Order: sequence, then C-alpha cells, then structure tokens
Amino acid sequence: MIVDGRRINSCLTLAVMHEGDAITTIEGLGEPGNLHPIQAAFIKHDGFQCGYCTPGQICSSLAVIEEINANIPSHVTKNLTDQVAITAAEIRERMSGNLCRCGAYSNILDAISDVAGVKA
Amino acid sequence: MRSFSYERATSIEAALQAAARNVDARFIAGGTNLLDLMKLEIEKPSHLIDVNGLGLDTIEKSPEGGLRIGALVRNTDLAADETVRRDYGLLSRALVAGASGQLRNKATTAGNLLQRTRCPYFYDPNQACNKRQPGSGCSAFGGVTRQLGVIGVSEACLATQPSDMAVAMRALDAVVETRGASGAKRSIPIGDFHRLPGDTPHIETELEPGELITGVVLPPPVGGKQIYRKVRDRASYAFALVSVGAVIHPDGSGQVAVGGVAHKPWRVEDAETELSKGARAMSAVLMEGARPTEQNKFKISLVERTLEAVLKEARE
Ligand SMILES: Cc1cc2nc3c(=O)[nH]c(=O)nc-3n(C[C@H](O)[C@H](O)[C@H](O)COP(=O)(O)OP(=O)(O)OC[C@H]3O[C@@H](n4cnc5c(N)ncnc54)[C@H](O)[C@@H]3O)c2cc1C
Ligand code: FES
Repeated sequence: MIVDGRRINSCLTLAVMHEGDAITTIEGLGEPGNLHPIQAAFIKHDGFQCGYCTPGQICSSLAVIEEINANIPSHVTKNLTDQVAITAAEIRERMSGNLCRCGAYSNILDAISDVAGVKA
Repeated sequence: MRSFSYERATSIEAALQAAARNVDARFIAGGTNLLDLMKLEIEKPSHLIDVNGLGLDTIEKSPEGGLRIGALVRNTDLAADETVRRDYGLLSRALVAGASGQLRNKATTAGNLLQRTRCPYFYDPNQACNKRQPGSGCSAFGGVTRQLGVIGVSEACLATQPSDMAVAMRALDAVVETRGASGAKRSIPIGDFHRLPGDTPHIETELEPGELITGVVLPPPVGGKQIYRKVRDRASYAFALVSVGAVIHPDGSGQVAVGGVAHKPWRVEDAETELSKGARAMSAVLMEGARPTEQNKFKISLVERTLEAVLKEARE
C-alpha cells in the first residue's frame, strides 16, 4: 500500500502507528468503468493470472515510477550522481519485492513500461 | 502474536524513561524486523515504544566535517541523500543492495544495525537455538549451514549478522551514538558495536538494556573508489552469501569489510596492509582462523574472489 506517497508492506507495520497518515490501497486508485491507467495497463498486458499479488503489484508500480522520477537510486543505477533514468532494468530491480507465484513477471513489466513510456 | 501495549514517545527522555520502567519493552522504529519476529513469537515484548516521533530523522554535517545520520532516517532517504551519494557512495550502494524498495521506505538506520540474524534455526521455534533460548543448544551444528558463519563462530552459535548497511559503515569507520537509560551519551565505534557470539550469542551488541541509538556519525569523506559487491542466490531481494564493502585509494591502499561470514561485519585492519599484494594475500590474513563447515567452506574462496572482483572494478 502507499502511505504518505510511499509504498510500504502493510504486513510489517501497525495501524496504530499511522494515525493521520494518507493511506492508499488498490481500492483508492480506480473503480470499474473508471480504471487508473496502470490498472488498465495490467488488463491490456495480461499482467496477472490468479490476481492474488495484483493489488500489491499495482500500488508498488505506481510508487516505482515516482521513485525513479524523484531520483532515488537502486541497485542497478550505474552512476549515483546522475539523474536516474526510467529503464526496463530499473523497473525490474525495483519490483523485486513483489513476488508473483503465478510468474506473470514479464507481462507485469510490459504493463508498467507501457505506462512509464519505456521499451520493455 | 502475543498482546502488547503501545505508546508513542514524544521526546528522547520520555522514550528512555518508558524503557526503564518496563524491562520487557522494545523500541519500535520501521518495525520491519521486530513485527516479523513478534508474529513468530521469537520476540515477545509486552510493550512497544514508538520512537518515530523523536525528531531523529535528519542528516547533517558533523562539526568535524563528517556526516551525522539520525537513528530514524529511512534507508531510502539515506541512500538517496546527495552528500551520501557523492562522498560515501559505498553506503548508498550497500543500502540499495538490501531488502526491497518498500522495506527500505520503512527501515531505519538504528533498526537496520539491530536487525537480527536470518539463521533458519533462529527462525524455527522447533529447533534448538542459544540465541532464541539461551542454553538450549544450537541445531545448526550437524544441520544445514550453507548460509551460516565461517569466522569468529563459537561452539554455541554459527549465526551471521545480515545487515548490508553495517558492512559499509564498518569500512567507513562509523561511530554509533546512544543515550543510556540514565540519559548519558555514549559513542561506540562500529567495530565494537556488534559482538562475537562466544557463549552468550543472545547478547548481540554492546547496547545496555533500554539504551537508545540516536544516530550514526561518519568521519570526513575519505574519497577513493567506493564499491559494494554482494553475492547472493538471487540477483535481487536476497540476503548476502558474501559481500565486500571497500574503499580503494589510487595508491592501492584501502579499507575493506566483509558481510555474510560472521556475527558482525568482518574487518581486520592488519590485513589491509596486504591489499596492494592482491586479493589472495589480503584474504589469507583477513580469513585467518576461519572455522567453516563442509557446507559453507566455499565462502572462504568466495571472499577472495569477490575481493578480486572489487579490486578489478576499482582499477577500471
Ligand atoms: C523480506 C525481507 C528482506 C530483507 N532483506 C535484507 C537484505 O537483503 N539486507 C539487509 O541488510 N536487510 C534486509 N532486511 C532487513 C531490513 O533491513 C530490516 O528489517 C530493517 O533494516 C530494520 O529496520 P527497522 O527500522 O524496521 O527496525 P525495527 O523492526 O523497528 O527494529 C529492529 C530492532 O531495533 C530496535 N531499535 C529500533 N530503533 C532503535 C533505536 N533508535 N534505539 C535502540 N533500539 C532500536 C528495535 O527494538 C528492534 O529490536 C530484509 C527484511 C525483510 C523483511
Ligand atoms: S497473479 Fe497469481 S500470484 Fe501473481
């Protein structure tokens, strides 16, 4: 989920620690008939099978795009002092904390790349 | 998970007093290690003291020209800090090699230093573990030890300290700043902060009960090529089998710490005089006295090879 603009793991925090925080879950992004572009992209690219991991994948992808735009480095960032570029390698590395037991990874990457405007 | 009470401390003094009142209390920062262990009932605090509101979340220049990192600075913010990226690249690299983006958004400087071992026998309450239950024995002996420690180990414990960040801080000569239960300030060099297991593996650091970490100070920038190389079973989102954090200077001298091999970031300053002779010469001294098992003796040559790769990268 996204708390005050940042993705975190909901299972490793306590609700009581977030009084007054802005919390966004998948329910807060879009709704049937009015999907968020990233939700629509997951459907277009078949970015899921069973759907269990999908809410987390989608919230995480949105935050990943923002982290890159905010120039936060990752393990695959070549030069720490350059502006971080949006590339498929950056997206892949940053999404590693979201496991998908169905293995929809390549389609998830296609969906995020589509929204971020990069070639997967 | 057992039931517990919770309070939000609003000052350092209040946090220290709350901890002094209740020996079963724990500070909670990001919560990414503590809550995990509480669900497994490996940690069983009766009270949590939330230290997120203590204002310890800034990164500032130290009077000596180094950097003072607040205990509550998130791993993401530390890795992304402009000064850290420019002058302490090793630290940024080690941080982004650890955990995942969502975890780093919560994980803090102090919590990262104090994260507990990933030894599978510590995590499984059906196994004997001197860390989890002092005196119960250690099921790792004769068990699966591939991931476990090879140097500085004891008859009581084979566990390793899993932090990537701590390896970088060890190579960079960081100092941990604390406030004791009485309020007294202490500065603990990172090399003395984590302990070897000996016959008390449940005592992992020099911290006294109720002592609060307030920050970590880095000395003025040392320059050089700063490299963190982490070898793991999966390219991302996995703990290190072996990692090398190094600052290599143009004259071939340097500072090197190794992760994944011991109960603390492993650094032997005397071994660094061998560095100009190459990875083999240095790692022979660095890993002298190692007591690996049949399953993890590969870590000895992996240290040498990883260091070789680091030295090669430094020459590029
Ligand atoms: C799936 C997963 C993968 C991970 N992979 C890696 C990895 O590859 N590399 C790596 O290095 N780490 C990894 N981690 C561990 C992660 O880095 C730690 O969980 C995190 O750094 C802990 O910080 P925290 O602030 O959340 O600590 P918390 O969970 O809040 O606290 C940890 C401990 O520190 C104590 N504490 C916290 N703050 C203070 C303070 N100011 N003073 C005194 N005591 C304090 C708490 O009482 C507790 O005992 C991983 C974790 C998970 C869950
Ligand atoms: S779609 Fe089934 S787990 Fe990812």
